[in-house]
Amino acid sequence: MSAKKETDRYEGVENRIQWVGIAIMAAMVLLGIQFWRLQVLSLHEFSRLAESNRVWQKRLASDRGIIYARNGEVIADNRASTDVVIVPGECPVELLDAVCERLEAWLGIDAAELRSKIDAHRSAPFTQLTVKRDVTRADCVRVEENQYALPGVTTVVHPQRRYLYGETAGQLLGYLGEINKAELEQYAEHRYNMGDLIGKDGLERYYESILRGKDGYMLVTKYASGQPQLRTDRAGRPYIARRDTRGHLLFPEGRPVLPQSGEPLHLTLDIALQRHCEELLRGEQGAIVVLDADTGAALALASAPSYDPGVFVNRGMNAERLELLSGKQPNRMSNRCHREVYPPGSLFKIMLAAAALEELVVTSNTKQYCPGHFQIDGKGRRWHCWRRTGHGAMDVVEALAYSCDVYFYNLGLKLGVDRIHFYANLMGLGVPTDIDLPGEQAGLIPHRQWKEKLNADKPVWEQRWYPGETVNLSIGQGAAATTPLQNAVMMACIVNGGYRVRPFLWQGREHLRSEKIFSDTTIETVVKGLQLCVEKGPPAPTGTCHRAQIPGMTIIGKTGTAQVVSLSHLEQYDDAEGIPYHQRHQAWFVAGVLDRTPRLSVCVLIEHGHSGGETAAPVARDVIEYFYATRANVPNMVMATKE
Amino acid sequence: MAYSGRQVQFQDISVHLLNPRNLFRVDWWLPIIALSLAVVGWFLMYSAARSTNITYFNRQILFFFLGIAPLALFVCVDYRFFVGIAPLLYTAALALLVVVILFGTSAKGSERWLSLGPFRLQPSEFTKLITVFFLTWYFTKVGKRIKKLHWFLITFGLVAIPIGLILKQPNLGTAACLGPLTMSMLYVAGCRKRHLAMIMIMGMTLLPMLWWQMRDFDPETQTEPRVFFELRHYQKMRIYTYLHPEYDPSGSGWHTLQSRITIGSGGLSGKGYMQGTQTRLNYLPEHHTDFIYSLLAEEFGFVGAVAVIALFLLLLLRGLSFAYDSVDMQGTLIATGVTTIFAFHIFVNIAITTGLLPVTGIPLPFLSYGGSFYMTTMAGIGILLSVRLRKQTHTHTEMYSPIGHVAIYGKKK
Repeated sequence: MSAKKETDRYEGVENRIQWVGIAIMAAMVLLGIQFWRLQVLSLHEFSRLAESNRVWQKRLASDRGIIYARNGEVIADNRASTDVVIVPGECPVELLDAVCERLEAWLGIDAAELRSKIDAHRSAPFTQLTVKRDVTRADCVRVEENQYALPGVTTVVHPQRRYLYGETAGQLLGYLGEINKAELEQYAEHRYNMGDLIGKDGLERYYESILRGKDGYMLVTKYASGQPQLRTDRAGRPYIARRDTRGHLLFPEGRPVLPQSGEPLHLTLDIALQRHCEELLRGEQGAIVVLDADTGAALALASAPSYDPGVFVNRGMNAERLELLSGKQPNRMSNRCHREVYPPGSLFKIMLAAAALEELVVTSNTKQYCPGHFQIDGKGRRWHCWRRTGHGAMDVVEALAYSCDVYFYNLGLKLGVDRIHFYANLMGLGVPTDIDLPGEQAGLIPHRQWKEKLNADKPVWEQRWYPGETVNLSIGQGAAATTPLQNAVMMACIVNGGYRVRPFLWQGREHLRSEKIFSDTTIETVVKGLQLCVEKGPPAPTGTCHRAQIPGMTIIGKTGTAQVVSLSHLEQYDDAEGIPYHQRHQAWFVAGVLDRTPRLSVCVLIEHGHSGGETAAPVARDVIEYFYATRANVPNMVMATKE
Repeated sequence: MAYSGRQVQFQDISVHLLNPRNLFRVDWWLPIIALSLAVVGWFLMYSAARSTNITYFNRQILFFFLGIAPLALFVCVDYRFFVGIAPLLYTAALALLVVVILFGTSAKGSERWLSLGPFRLQPSEFTKLITVFFLTWYFTKVGKRIKKLHWFLITFGLVAIPIGLILKQPNLGTAACLGPLTMSMLYVAGCRKRHLAMIMIMGMTLLPMLWWQMRDFDPETQTEPRVFFELRHYQKMRIYTYLHPEYDPSGSGWHTLQSRITIGSGGLSGKGYMQGTQTRLNYLPEHHTDFIYSLLAEEFGFVGAVAVIALFLLLLLRGLSFAYDSVDMQGTLIATGVTTIFAFHIFVNIAITTGLLPVTGIPLPFLSYGGSFYMTTMAGIGILLSVRLRKQTHTHTEMYSPIGHVAIYGKKK
């Protein structure tokens, strides 16, 4: 024998291996005994449970959170709704066709479609298939009374969304729809089921995680006929019924997990003001944004034309739903406050004046002569002032008041595109405002890198930024695109003394405010110009937006009239009435109220309203008047704060 | 002495050419038992896949044939080669476990994997086998010194690192597998029984700690762990539902309850193949993976359930007999380790389905659906065969393998 190696086995290892074997055998015998206990000793009990499929899991649908407006008005709540469902496994196969045809006759559904749905679930016959959602009381009674002819068909009650103000704030609230595959994966950890309704747009979608309730479960004893029931009370809150559809007493096994309602959502929205704003926009296309200038709380976000979100959940509104989703123009689904972009036009001058004063490019005393037209370095293309005869010599305050284009052409060139872009973004133009609504458009303030990137595959001279483009940008034309909400945020910055705020709708949202962007002197000068703009002469000369003036109130404002086609193109028409609708200018007006609390920032946009001063300014005046008048009647209308 | 000092073991590897006659030295009983278990698995998978998705059945057959590759690899290459490179494998496995924690993707909040194109790499799966090789390497290095307390305790230090990393994933099942594995290999390696008893008593003291953790547990309220060793909410939930199966019908309590009903309703002789009502109607979730034994027990009854347990027992005892017959320590330890892994999976999985243990994801060899574990199973069978194949050859310079000679140990002095 060779020498003993370390890989050799020691004495007695066999003995230890045997013990391991005995342990393994003991474990397997233990399993065998357990099977004996389950399958032979308790066979009777378990087969009884299994044979009748007695115990099954019932999902208890939860209701969505209620949405409240600023003063506690309920905007959206839940009501009880009855669905007709079929459980194919409870209906004899030979009768399925007959049942489908009866349902077609009584409920007006498509029998063939239902039949194919049943066939698709052949492998899982005990699934509840929805035959018809939200049936009328008459249909419900008819199904219940004819139970003998409809084996497997029952009605179930569950909470259903109700929008109490109809079309008012419809786009803000958004609508509900059945969850799709992508969303199922997106919200995987929330245990959604196929067929659940989730927020598809607006606040319903943005605050889905707050609004959605938590479904409950219970183990119920199931009978051959009869369905265990989840019922709802008058407020739409679900509770577990004690009896099933046939009146059998139910024995919930174990402890049910009760459904939890979604959390309520308290909005900063003033629903009366919102309704008034939508009233004002009736027949037009446009948007009105009313913000609390100090916090950014949105008091009204009206957009026209709008829709009633109830269309998506109520019975018998298929035609309306299809029309909405078909994308027919004008688009009623798109909230013009934050989803549509428009050139800001003269509104841009507010930002330009503030930036120039802050950068000390001009002071409040710098005068500039306006001859009615403008050329870069006195040669090349001629840009015109909107007033062909010119404004004469004026400082920045007057230039803002009379909206002198030539003054701002010069100002823009002095500032340069980089600083314009920087300050515009700082004030919220061309960047998302981060309001709590989905699908916000960022808009665009053109700049060098943007143009370079846009024309990357074109010759180099098309990538370069030219001074002429800065001139165009100075009066908010060219590629500049902003949303009404962004302009309201910009105005809020002037009203509140130089802070950019983040607009919000949910009272619980954190109030974000930037550092002070502009010094007090800058704000003072700009405010002076915007105040002069609203004033009506004599003694002061009449500003461009004197129509927004309210006696006894310090209002600042600025009109904007953004061109859709060039001015020279419009010269062929004799008067404003003759211009085709889609060639008319976009009418803008932003206003701020300084001497009331809360201080407001209002932005009005009328699509193709043609003249900011004539169309949009009176609307803004009406909104402001209405707000402070109704406020006086409600004494306890303090700013809502997070509790 | 064959090795001395810091000499690295795998320096003298030489591979000889194929020698077909060695194929006949392979043990035939183990493959026959394994194949019959695989066939049982296919039949069950067909029944399970009929009510869910028939591709499970097709894939399960594919997995078996894919599994022949790792099996062949471990049969052909001498197990002592793997023992020699075990420190390298161990380091690589630890590195992969760290990588999977940092970059891995996970589903359902458990088991993580690395996505390599169409494949999913689950390092924790083959960490089990690598641990067997690594412990064997360690025990042969240590030799008789394992009787000393500090060498004994170092073993636990070595295993604690992969266990910790796997728990971090989190994958309770695989981590728990390494515990019994270490214990049984230590026992066979010749440690003192009183040391082992001491460790077991220390393990017992964990029970009061568990009680301390569960004492004011409320399933309704989610609480963050206050201390680092405190269990997560979902882990406590599993223990809670094990103790109160009627609670949380939507979660694991539902599994336990329905699994017991499924097994219990099978009776002595079962409801017949493809006649199981519980699984047919999808009352029992996961009946193609972790709960496939309930399907067997429902359709084939007590007789079928016990017959397959007997088949598993044959497999385990056959594997252990290789350990018994092996002449060198390495073969003994490897066969013991691999058999323990199988025994753990079989016992714990069936114990879960019958409600003896709380629910955690442990697959059943040959029966549960799942590619990764099927590969591990086949590799394990290959390792056992390899131990058997080379049982008499430790003193010879030549060793038998189907592809000839792969000598790995150092030159004779």
